[in-house]
This record gives sequence, C-alpha cells and structure tokens, in this order.
Amino acid sequence: MDIGTNVRIGPFEVFFPAQPAAVESAHGTHRDYPGRLFIVEGIDGSGKSTQLMLLHKWLESKGYGVVFSEWNSSPLVKDTTKLGKKKKMLTPATFSLIHSTDFADRTEKNILPLMKAGAVVLCDRYVYTAFARDVARGMDRKWVRDLYRFAVKPTVAFYFRVPLETAIGRITAARDCLKYYEAGLDLGLSDEPIQSFRIFQGHILEEYERMIPEFGLTVIDATLPVEEQQAQVRRIAQGHLSRATDLRIRP
Amino acid sequence: MRHTYGKLLPGLNLSDLAGKLIVIEGTDGAGRTTQINLLRPWLEEMGHAVLDTGMTRSALAGEGIRRAKEGNNLGRVTQTLFYATDFIDRMENEIVPALRAGFVVLTDRYIYSLMARGTVRGVDPVWIRDIYSVALKPDAVFYLRLGVEQLIPRVIFSRGFDYWESGVDIFPGLDMYESFCNYQKALLAEFDRLSTQYGFEAVDASTDAKIVFAQLQERILTVLDPEFLRPRPAESVAESNIAVRITPRHESSERSVPRLEGVDDFTFRPFVPSLRALRHTNGNSHAK
Repeated sequence: MDIGTNVRIGPFEVFFPAQPAAVESAHGTHRDYPGRLFIVEGIDGSGKSTQLMLLHKWLESKGYGVVFSEWNSSPLVKDTTKLGKKKKMLTPATFSLIHSTDFADRTEKNILPLMKAGAVVLCDRYVYTAFARDVARGMDRKWVRDLYRFAVKPTVAFYFRVPLETAIGRITAARDCLKYYEAGLDLGLSDEPIQSFRIFQGHILEEYERMIPEFGLTVIDATLPVEEQQAQVRRIAQGHLSRATDLRIRP
Repeated sequence: MRHTYGKLLPGLNLSDLAGKLIVIEGTDGAGRTTQINLLRPWLEEMGHAVLDTGMTRSALAGEGIRRAKEGNNLGRVTQTLFYATDFIDRMENEIVPALRAGFVVLTDRYIYSLMARGTVRGVDPVWIRDIYSVALKPDAVFYLRLGVEQLIPRVIFSRGFDYWESGVDIFPGLDMYESFCNYQKALLAEFDRLSTQYGFEAVDASTDAKIVFAQLQERILTVLDPEFLRPRPAESVAESNIAVRITPRHESSERSVPRLEGVDDFTFRPFVPSLRALRHTNGNSHAK
C-alpha cells in the first residue's frame, strides 16, 4: 500500500532534527514499528464504529494487546474544540487545525508510542476523515494532506462504502437532530439541516472515492450484512497479524 | 494587492485589505511589548486606527494553550498545531477584518516565532512553512535583535525562569540556566536564518528603548501610505532620536498632507476618542 507521490503521511520520518542533541534520535519508519494500526473510515451511518467494536472484541479474544483511539478525543484539546463548536466560532481553517491538534496529541501520546511498544492500535476515523471533511469545507486538498504529514501510516485503512441515502436513512432514524458542523450548516449549503447534511455528506463521499486509489483504502461494502462485513475485516486483519504472535499479551 | 505565502484560505478576499500589517519579531526579552506600547499611541496620534495582537490571544485557542502549557505534557507537534490554530483564528477574525477596515495592525510576533520554536524542537521546518503558506505576507517585519548575553539579564533577572521559555521540554537533563542558554541560542540562530529567508528588517534591541523606538518610527513611516506622509519626516526623526508628532488626519484641513508640529519627548496626548470608538465597533470583539 503506497500513497500518492507528493504526499508523505510518513510517521515521524518527515521530521529531521534541527538540533540532534535537542531531540530524540532518528525516528524509525512505520515498518520498523512492531505494532499494527487498523483504522476505519466512512461517512456517518456507514456502520464503521460497529465493525471496529467487533474487530476489537475478536482481537482481544485472540489475546492481543489492543488499544482504541477515537477521533476528536484528546483531553488536552477537547475544551477548545467544544468551545469552538458550541459558540460556532470555527471557520473551515480553524476547524481543520483544531482537529489536527487533537490528532497530533493522540499521535504523540498514544498512537506512535503504542506502535513502538507493539500494540494493536484501532482508530475510529483517521486522517482521511480530515481530508474528506476539510476539503468538503473548501480547504486546499494538498494543504490538508501536508498538515497531517506527521501521522503514522495505518497497516490497513478500512473504508466502509455506503450509498448516501442509506447512510442518511440510518442517521435520521437513530437521532432526533443533526449537529451544526456535522450537517455542514456552517457552509450555508441549505438552511434545512437534513438537506444541508445530504449535500455536505455528498461532497465527503466524493472525497472518499478519490482517496481509495490515492491511499489504497481497503473498501468494504457496508450494505452487506454486519456479519459478512466483519468476516471480511477479520480475514484481512488476520493476514497482517499472522506473523505477529509476539504481539499477544496472553496465549 | 496583498499576498499570502502561497495558499489562500476559503472565503478570503485579498483585494480589499487596505490596512498595513506590521510585525514586531524577536526573542523573549527583546522589548517587543515595550515598543508596541510606544508605537500604538504614536500611530493613533498620527490618525491611524491600530489593532494590536499577539500569540495566544485568540478567543478560540488562547485559553486552551495556556491550560495545555500548565501541564508540561504538550508535545512538540501538538504545540505547533495548537499555536497554528490560535494564529489562524486571530488572522481570520482580527487581522483580516482590521486590515479591511484600513487599520494598522501591529502584531507582537508572527508566524516566524512559531517556525523558530517548532524548528528548534526538531519539527520539520518545511512542514511548518507549508502550514503557514496561508498566512498573509506582512508589509514589514521588524526584528528586534538581541544577543544571548544581553537577553539573559533582561529575561531571567526580571521574571525568572519559565519552563517553556527555557526550553526545558527539549533539554530535560540540564538545569534551568543551561537549558535557557541553549534554547535561546538555538532560537537566535533560527531567527537569524529566518531573517535572511524572509527579509526581516533587523533593529539592534540592545540599546535604549527610546533609540529603538526612534528607529522603528523612522522605518514604519516608510511603510505607511505615502499619501499621508509628505513631507517625509524621517530625517528629523533620525537626527533627533525623539518622537515626531504629526497632526492627526481628522484635525488637518488638508487631509492628505499632515503637518509636522515639532517634537515633545515621549509625552503623548490621550488617544483620539473617535478612533477608539471605531476600533471597538469595527474591530473585533475578542481584542483586549
């Protein structure tokens, strides 16, 4: 799985110390890390979180040391994001930057050290969520990709592909109302939340489609029965764990 | 026409940003705040509406950054991005509207300080530069330059050691003093490099604040709209080393030709009330 020529989502390999004495020694590339990183992507209502939860259970039952990290969950950044969303202060640029700050904190404190320590790291949403959303909000495609150059490249990035109407049906059935930024109401696409959500998610879907070949996302048909999707996910994950018995914390 | 460093943020129109963006850069203790406190009333007296802004003053991320720094567990990449969030929030909500309203924006540090801090922490400078490709190019960057020897007494003897200002996060094995010296030396080297790269106008900050102020005044006058600056008073400023008072625009009958009224050594009249009102209504509500 290789990524676009002008984009390096390299694990910290892009950082070269300006002052060797000041920073830790050269970072290894992700291939050197003993851990594995499985991430799920897809629009809201694609069922990706359910699939990741099922994968998590299975990996634990197999004895792996599994750590889960969720999009937008850094305790250090949480209050700022909450403030920005609540007061509707976020522009496309600051929306993008505050989410990258959150992701950076999780990368520096969790994802990267855990990969070095040999954990199986599971992420619900990853850099591709930012690529899709921020570009749908009008940010420059290359700028957003550059912003996340510090990210660790996933072992497998599962993309749960679902038709827009199916996802909208699932979301509207499950919730009373859509959130302001989630529905893209900040963009003035439509005053009507469902309509705005539909247009916004449509743009996001286009961005995901574009990223499938660009980043070699592993596509899972999210209209299939849950069990069938999970069987595919486990089979693929298994393929990347077969020679990693040392990752098991218990037999 | 104003420019950015390469990329344009969505919805940002550069064609009507008539004001002037003046950056005061320099390491800790170089006297940036002192100079801005002198420049602001001077500019206002000349009839310019002034917005001053600086790091971590954004309504969005200022408080978050302060809290994150209290914990001493702010990683270098996270730190770089948190500051970028703060900067872009201020750029979009303070700097751009002020420039649109024709203000002189005085900014205490700009993207260069953030680049320097990240780079000395081992963060890829190209990555930081790419992030700030959306930043507006200023009309002038004044770099208040101070050697480490002069900087030590100014910073340490006045307010003591600060964890981040001493770079303890990157020199954990050293004591505060050694860490401070190493960190500030690295910062200075980086500032000097950036100075060449971005064409800063260096000002020797080791001399008396009044002399630095006079030099800044002289250079800022060349940046401001020449319409209002004929005859240019630069020579007399340089000679006398003291402030030059120019009749505020609204008091002058000939709008475009301010008149030199002479000098009064750093005694400033109160701010022009109408301009203060303008600043509070047109400016941004986050401004302090």
